[in-house]
Order: sequence, then structure tokens, then C-alpha cells
Amino acid sequence: MVKSFIWRIVDFILAAVFIYAGVLKALDPVQLAHDVDHYKILPWTIGVGLAFYLPWLEIFCGLALIFRLFYRGALSILTVLVMIFLVATIAAKVRGLDITCGCFGHASQNWSFPTHLALDLAILAALAALCYCSMARARANAWPTRTP
Amino acid sequence: MKFSLARQALILAALSLLPGVGQAIYFRDKISWRSPIPPSEMVSVNQAREWADSAIWIDARPDEDFARNHVSGAISLNEDRWNELLPQFLAAWSPGKKVVVYCSAQSCDLAREVAERLRKEAQLPDVFVLDGGWEAWLKQKR
Repeated sequence: MVKSFIWRIVDFILAAVFIYAGVLKALDPVQLAHDVDHYKILPWTIGVGLAFYLPWLEIFCGLALIFRLFYRGALSILTVLVMIFLVATIAAKVRGLDITCGCFGHASQNWSFPTHLALDLAILAALAALCYCSMARARANAWPTRTP
Repeated sequence: MKFSLARQALILAALSLLPGVGQAIYFRDKISWRSPIPPSEMVSVNQAREWADSAIWIDARPDEDFARNHVSGAISLNEDRWNELLPQFLAAWSPGKKVVVYCSAQSCDLAREVAERLRKEAQLPDVFVLDGGWEAWLKQKR
């Protein structure tokens, strides 16, 4: 009981982080397109498409975590997103690019690389824990009930 | 409602597409899908030519490229020697003149960066990036 309450709180914290980040980015897709472009990984056109799409994906996944609707789908999307973002951030650092991640709009503009990395790893760890918890729950529900 | 993981992910991905498309339509005038430069800050070769003497041309490419060839009358101003070249450019500029910055092609970033610095650091109004850059200029010349 206490355990599931704690996991629910983790759900809410992660949902709040992604909804907040999504809303900030959705308010300024033009800036986000430039932030994506700074990574020098994708062509500009694709970056613009992502700038319009990714914030809403984060918002919908955050809402899915709160309402437990399409829960596992949301967890898997968010996990993949954070992993891709982590790889892109490390790749940019290795190539010596001076990037602002744009993850939390202008609020994250002055964050250092270790701060980005620490936050992403913490989010990834929380997502992985929720995935594990969700799988364990699904297994428990699928377990045949013993009749005497 | 029980959906497989993949189906759940697909539904969420599809749902997110709807507001994304709406927003893309709403912002269509504020961002170009072709280039990072907004349409209001771009100028075509023909338009820039019509400005004739009321415009100053800036070549944002590296020195070697400028030395090889450049738009006649253009002044070299690149980020490698910014502090050295900026005073030379400012001496040639006068209020009311439009500034046309170009680099090698549509895909290069140098012109955009130089134009941005001219607006922010030198506080110049009317700074435009040449659509298609040097390549477009050569094509029009033929």
C-alpha cells in the first residue's frame, strides 16, 4: 500500500516535469527549432517538425502518467525520448558544440553540462523504476489465483 | 481498456500529432521550414539587386573564399576576424543603408550568424540574409 503510494508520487513528479517542459516548449516552438538545430544532427526541416511535435508528445505522455491511461505506452515513449536526448547531448559535448538543450525553455539556458546530465539520468532512473514496477504489477495481475 | 504497449505508444504518438499540426499552421509565418532564417529576414537575389546602392553587401565566408571571388563591392566580415573586420565595415556603412549578408549556400549558417551579430552587437536595423547565398548569386548571374 505504502509502496504503491510512493510509486504514484513518482508518477506525478515525472508527469509534472514532462508537462512543465512540454508546455514551456510548446509556447515557443521557434526557439525550440533553433535549439534542436544547435545539435547539428538533423536537417532544419526535421528539427522544425520535431519542435512542433515533441512538446505535445511530452504533454500527452505526462497526462497519461497522471491518469494511468496508456500508461505503459507513455512510459516507453518517455524512456526512449530521454535516452535519445542523453545520447544527443553527450554527442554534442564530444563534438565541442556549445548547446542550450531547450529542455525547459529559457529556464534551462544557463545549465551546465553536468546539470543536464544529472537531471536526465535521474529522470531515466525514475522511468526505468516505473517500467519495472508496471511490469511487476502486470505479472502479479496475470498470476492465476489459487483455489483451495 | 487493454491495449498492447506498442498500440498504446502509437495512440499517444498519433494524438500528439493533432495539436502539433495545428500549431505548425498557426506559426507558419513565424518560422520557415526551409531555413532557420525567418522569411522577413531573407532577401532574394533579385530584390537585393534592385536595392543597388542603397544596400551594402557582406561576405560572411572565410577569407580564402572571399579572396577567390565575391559579389562586386562586397565587404568581407566573418566571425574568424570579427573584431578586426567590423570597424572596416562600419566605416563603409551609413544610416538608412540596408545590409545584405551572404555565405556559400542555403545550408550554411555563417550569414545567419553574422546577420544576428550585426543586429545584436552593432545594433544595425535592416540586416538581411541572401536567400541561397553565393550559389544563388552565381546562378542568377549566368
